[in-house]
Amino acid sequence: MPQKNHYAFVIDVSRCIDCRACLVACSVENKFPMNHTRIWVHDQGVQGEWPALSRIFIPYNCMHCDTPPCTEVCVSGATYKDKVSGLVLVDQQACIGCGFCVEACPYGVRYIDEKRGVVDKCNACVQRLEVGLPPACVATCLGKARMFGDLNDPNSEVSIALKNAKSVVRLDYEVGRTDTDPNIYYLNLAEMGGVKSSDSFGQVKQAALPREPHYTISEEGWKKVLVPLIAAGMGGAFLVQATFFTKQLIEGEKEFDE
Amino acid sequence: MPETKISRRDFIKLTSLAGGALALGQFLPLQVARAARDIGSLDDRGNGTISTLCEMCVWRCGVLAKVVEERVVKLEGNPEHPHSHGKLCARGQSGLMNTYDPDRILTPLIRVGQRGEGKFRPASWDEALNLVAENMLKIKRNYGPEAMVFSSTHNLSQPQFENLLYGFGSPNYGTQRSLCFNAMIVANLITYGMEEPDRDYSQLKYLILTGRNLTEAISTSETSALVDAIASGAKVVYIDPRFTKTASKASEWLPIRPGTDLAFHLALINFMIAEKRYNQPFVEQYLLGFDKLVEAVAGYTPEWAAPITGIDAQVIHRIAVEFSEAAPYALAHNGWRTSNFINSFPTERAIAILNAMTGNWGVTLLPSAEEGAGGLGQPPQPPYPRVSAQRLDGVPWKYPFVPLKIGIFQQMRDAILEGQPYQAHGWFISRQNPVLSLPDQQKTLEAFGKMDFIVSVDIIMNDTDWFADVVLPETSYLERYDPLVPMGNRIFIRQPVIEPQGDARSALWIYKELGKRLGLGDFFQYTDEEDYLRQELAPLGISLEELRLRGYVDLPEGNGGTEFQWSTPSGKIEVYSDALGKAGFDPLPAWQEPPQPKSGEFYLLTGKVGQHTQFGTQNNQLLHKYQDVPRLWINPEAAQTLGLKDWDLVEVTSPVGKVKVALQVTPAIRSDCVYLTPGFGHLSKGLRTAYGVGSSDSALHVTYVDPISGGQALSQTFVSVKKA
Repeated sequence: MPQKNHYAFVIDVSRCIDCRACLVACSVENKFPMNHTRIWVHDQGVQGEWPALSRIFIPYNCMHCDTPPCTEVCVSGATYKDKVSGLVLVDQQACIGCGFCVEACPYGVRYIDEKRGVVDKCNACVQRLEVGLPPACVATCLGKARMFGDLNDPNSEVSIALKNAKSVVRLDYEVGRTDTDPNIYYLNLAEMGGVKSSDSFGQVKQAALPREPHYTISEEGWKKVLVPLIAAGMGGAFLVQATFFTKQLIEGEKEFDE
Repeated sequence: MPETKISRRDFIKLTSLAGGALALGQFLPLQVARAARDIGSLDDRGNGTISTLCEMCVWRCGVLAKVVEERVVKLEGNPEHPHSHGKLCARGQSGLMNTYDPDRILTPLIRVGQRGEGKFRPASWDEALNLVAENMLKIKRNYGPEAMVFSSTHNLSQPQFENLLYGFGSPNYGTQRSLCFNAMIVANLITYGMEEPDRDYSQLKYLILTGRNLTEAISTSETSALVDAIASGAKVVYIDPRFTKTASKASEWLPIRPGTDLAFHLALINFMIAEKRYNQPFVEQYLLGFDKLVEAVAGYTPEWAAPITGIDAQVIHRIAVEFSEAAPYALAHNGWRTSNFINSFPTERAIAILNAMTGNWGVTLLPSAEEGAGGLGQPPQPPYPRVSAQRLDGVPWKYPFVPLKIGIFQQMRDAILEGQPYQAHGWFISRQNPVLSLPDQQKTLEAFGKMDFIVSVDIIMNDTDWFADVVLPETSYLERYDPLVPMGNRIFIRQPVIEPQGDARSALWIYKELGKRLGLGDFFQYTDEEDYLRQELAPLGISLEELRLRGYVDLPEGNGGTEFQWSTPSGKIEVYSDALGKAGFDPLPAWQEPPQPKSGEFYLLTGKVGQHTQFGTQNNQLLHKYQDVPRLWINPEAAQTLGLKDWDLVEVTSPVGKVKVALQVTPAIRSDCVYLTPGFGHLSKGLRTAYGVGSSDSALHVTYVDPISGGQALSQTFVSVKKA
């Protein structure tokens, strides 16, 4: 599907300090209920043998997939891939809150807003994009880990970052025979040890808020999705694409767009 | 954990509740919206962006506040401000939730129950201020003005707070700095003649961070600069008994034995001298007493330091070589909360000297931009009355090196308790929470018991307010003006972006109105907040409207004096301090072994998290939402020895107190230490979000006073841990 723009997040994992400014900024900007979030920082936990310890933080939100599983299951047509921006959006006027998309999303980034009876998730702050501002999470990122922009524009910050990257990792997911083709591109994730077999990306199933640690995601909530490292062909779980020659990737995308 | 009604409310409902409170407010003295329309910040419908300053910590980032129909809906970092560069941290982003906190105090309160019972009745400003003035004057009449103690810290209205206390005639001024960084300030004053030189990361190649957890104890611009420096290839050696988030970003983490940072730095100095790895021309020209240092550190070899610090001698050799090779693009960070051990002062001196040896002055270490800038005017005022009474905290008669405006807070509390050298009877507290910040909480509550009268100025019902007799509601930082703040070659303004809620008033207004009732009207010669600011701007010929619209004005470039002269007695960087020697202290940094825990005990470590500031932000629902549950960190080995597992509820016992807290078993800490996030364990039930969450380390901390800097030794409390 040719799009005018190809908006994507590029996240440099080496620059994320887990300060959570992005989480609060998103919460304020988008005014969703206090017991939900649209954005997470996955904490791998302390790894390694004393004293050679390591710990990495992987920020994520809706991946705005090129082949989103959520749109396919949407019965009302409320969830759609926007033809102009390439963003995956929810028309909350049309949403009936059936929750099929919440189940279908392998990243667990959607939730049902119980009060309004609709599904909600990251919309890349379209209200800000319209007036020329970056998403709230990107604007306030202290470590400049988060970038956002148009991959169709070769001069955009994200295109340049991908071009110069030593490696790019995407958390691709195989749904049936199709890959999700997510639009969050991680820099320095491979160099920092990559994704671990214990990592999983999904949403809290039982939010007990605001007293419980709704930021820190419980073991149970995470079991839904497993992301083995470089696990192509392993039982239909996640594919982690490590593209070490980014040029190829960018050129590939251009072909795709044409 | 107990639930509260609040937990079910969502954000939108909360903000509309707060809006209801605004509608009830009868008096809106500033007419913020009208004034903002006049200068063009808001349009006719009350929409627009207003430039102001953050107050979620003391870093004071520039903020652009988005206002929709006269409600603040989003805060952004001001790209023009050197501390924010367009960014705000989690706390800064959450700032509007402080303003719209459903637990805001919106009317003066007068206690009706027992102290600490939390029973208050609302009162008018007139009644509350009259009652405060009456009690303060009674204390003055009966016991002298020194029997009133005053405490407040690190806020822009402090000049007027000082007018109140010095005008009243009391010498007793408590700030929280002795619980934080007195050791660093006094060491820098002695060595460099300034409280804290600025750091520049732009050319940095090598950084030694000693317990400076920059990614969790966040200073927005400096935290960003560190991440940039690492991305550009700077090497970072991080020294801390904990594997913090900063450790995870560093090139190298050294889990040093607590209390031995001094030995590590002395060994670096020793090795660099032995190998002549220092900037000889710089040292000869600008350092005083380097030859005496050479002799004094002769025994402090890396081999000597290895068994003390737990860091291999070869590693110390290597770091000394790398550090000196990177010079002058090298920096040894002086730390942040440096009140850790009884030897924190010589540690800070050693760090200051290590920097001086590299000749990094003017490269990675710069004269403090905040000192010397300004040229601001101030309202006229008479001289302060002469004070004959000694200060309760022993400054300067017992502690000559501690600046008067900094003082020793924990010593003041102890003097109140002991009634020595005289008995204090009243305590005026502004925007401070000594119940949670001072070590040994029980002592603080006992000291409150000695008071005839306690008055507190605050925004929400913090723990100290909970025990006060009168609570005066201040406007939040998004609702008020504060005195101006020069920053480099610019002057920035904190200005209201929305109308004050309820009956809350600015500190400038409160101090002036109270001053009038105390007969101190001459110390507050301004008609209102705007008049105060106009008097400040008068000598510069800058209009308040211009400043308000842009949020800052540029000052003409100053000459700044010569860069290579320091405000020390000799005008040089004082490696050897005659002043220290004359006062009977060691004029050079020398090794002091701090006390160690007995077998079965742990060092109780303290340190910040990125989502909170001290003891005042835990009730902010947005920060609460994204914080980790505050638990006691313990190493898996230690946990196993004690038969404890993750999430166990444990009892932590120190010589002065006991708390119960959930356990976090993590390899990110040495096995001889435990760590507790400060700022939790609130006692006030008026904090409906924060109450009941976590435990307070101030209930455990033993009080210490460093004889030179007056600093508390916050990591020198040893605790035992057992299953609760």
